[in-house]
Amino acid sequence: MAELVPLAACILIAFGIGSNDTSNALGICIGCGIIRLRKALFPFGCLVLIGIIISGQKVIKTVGNDLLEVNLSILSISLSVSALLIILSNWKRLPPSTNQVVIGSLAGSGVASGVDVNFLSLSKIVFSWIVSPLTAFFFSLILYKMMEKTLSKLPLFRIERILRILLFISGMLIAYNIGANELATILGPVIYSGLIDRIQASFLGTFFVFLGAVLLSHRVIETVGKGITTLDPYSGFAAQFGAGLCVLFFTLLGMPISTTYCIIGGISGVGMSKGMKTVRIELIKKIIANWVLAPSIAFLICFAIMRALR
Amino acid sequence: MLEKVFFGGKTEQKVIENIKRHIKILCSASDCFKKAIEERNKDLMFCVPDLEREGDSIRREIVSNIYEGAFLPFLRSNICRFVEIVDEAFDVLEDAAYEFEYLGSKLDEEIEDDCIKIADINLKMCEMLLIAFETLFSKEDLREKNLAIRIYEKKVDEIKFDLIEKLREKEVKSFWEGKILSDFISYLTRVSDVIEDASDYLYIMNVSLR
Repeated sequence: MAELVPLAACILIAFGIGSNDTSNALGICIGCGIIRLRKALFPFGCLVLIGIIISGQKVIKTVGNDLLEVNLSILSISLSVSALLIILSNWKRLPPSTNQVVIGSLAGSGVASGVDVNFLSLSKIVFSWIVSPLTAFFFSLILYKMMEKTLSKLPLFRIERILRILLFISGMLIAYNIGANELATILGPVIYSGLIDRIQASFLGTFFVFLGAVLLSHRVIETVGKGITTLDPYSGFAAQFGAGLCVLFFTLLGMPISTTYCIIGGISGVGMSKGMKTVRIELIKKIIANWVLAPSIAFLICFAIMRALR
Repeated sequence: MLEKVFFGGKTEQKVIENIKRHIKILCSASDCFKKAIEERNKDLMFCVPDLEREGDSIRREIVSNIYEGAFLPFLRSNICRFVEIVDEAFDVLEDAAYEFEYLGSKLDEEIEDDCIKIADINLKMCEMLLIAFETLFSKEDLREKNLAIRIYEKKVDEIKFDLIEKLREKEVKSFWEGKILSDFISYLTRVSDVIEDASDYLYIMNVSLR
């Protein structure tokens, strides 16, 4: 019966990913009228599944095996606290990075329970959190410059058509990354603890991501879509695709990183190419504060609960 | 399939074809207007309001197609604005046509010659606007077409200043005779301004997605 707790928490987090992070992948496409939400959900779900099956293994291993040796109590507490924190943050309209909360919780409960936490692996992960938005920044900046030299030379209506296709591809890349990185992060510990095998976990996780997307994502997507319509799709593509490539690159290295922070890095990169004044430093400061707080709070809460229970 | 992917879906193609038709009808209306002045034929001028109505229905179709979801949202408002400016050119031309009907054969030969020149330049500007719109699908430089339209507009301005000088020296018998003549000239010379605005907007539209 106790084994059901981490599984239930995983399902809740996967559902949360589906309801909130679908907008990262589909927000621009739906906002631009490239595809309708109903039609987009099926390829989205397929790519999440393909992502975790083809490219998810390294992230699953990093979180489930390299970071610490998980046991049932660590799993139950860290995943339950993660699920609770993610739901609370979303309710308060401060969506955190799922990866950061899960890693913070695992590390916190691991340290408190006295198991051997691999600090080298942890520092690699934290380092990738710092480096990944910067990498996305440069990827998007380079991509934007390349587009200026190639795509910009084409006639207007050709650019419009190509951008539609590119925005769709970019959205699908993010969907692939949701499976390969985000879903892999939450499933890694349960797979390595032996509660469920990898293929079963992949299908179950994807199903709940898909369910979250079907039932609750439309509101977030509408909000993102309405905001995006006033944005320039040219820069939007450079930021989103740059971020997508960055997440894919880190996924191949086995690092669990946040797509949202990479997209923010990408947007800043495109903004920087138009001049420093376009980048809102105050907003960046708030994001950095949230970036530090989310894993720290998760770490401290899990640490305290684990110590209290010992 | 490839054509659909690279050249646009059905709705987009429909919008593009309708915009071309819209500009072509403006060319026909300008041509008809010019012929009516040349031949001093009031009856010929009736084609202008007819063509304006046709242009109006095409504009409505374009706007409704765009609101159905043609093109990226970022481009939609720009295309609508461009079509509205072209429609404004129709309205101004129609106003000039109505004034001509009241004016009848009261145009002096000297003034008439200048009016024909302006009507001819207006027609050339419409044709250039169509060519400029078509450059949005080709690798040709829109700036050249934009510049040509600006040069035409400058010519109209020069003729307009001459015309105003001539009008100041002309004796008018009644208030209405003077007003109708003044309104006719101002509507006739405004057409080129509006076409220039449309061309400028086309240029803005062209650089907006880069």
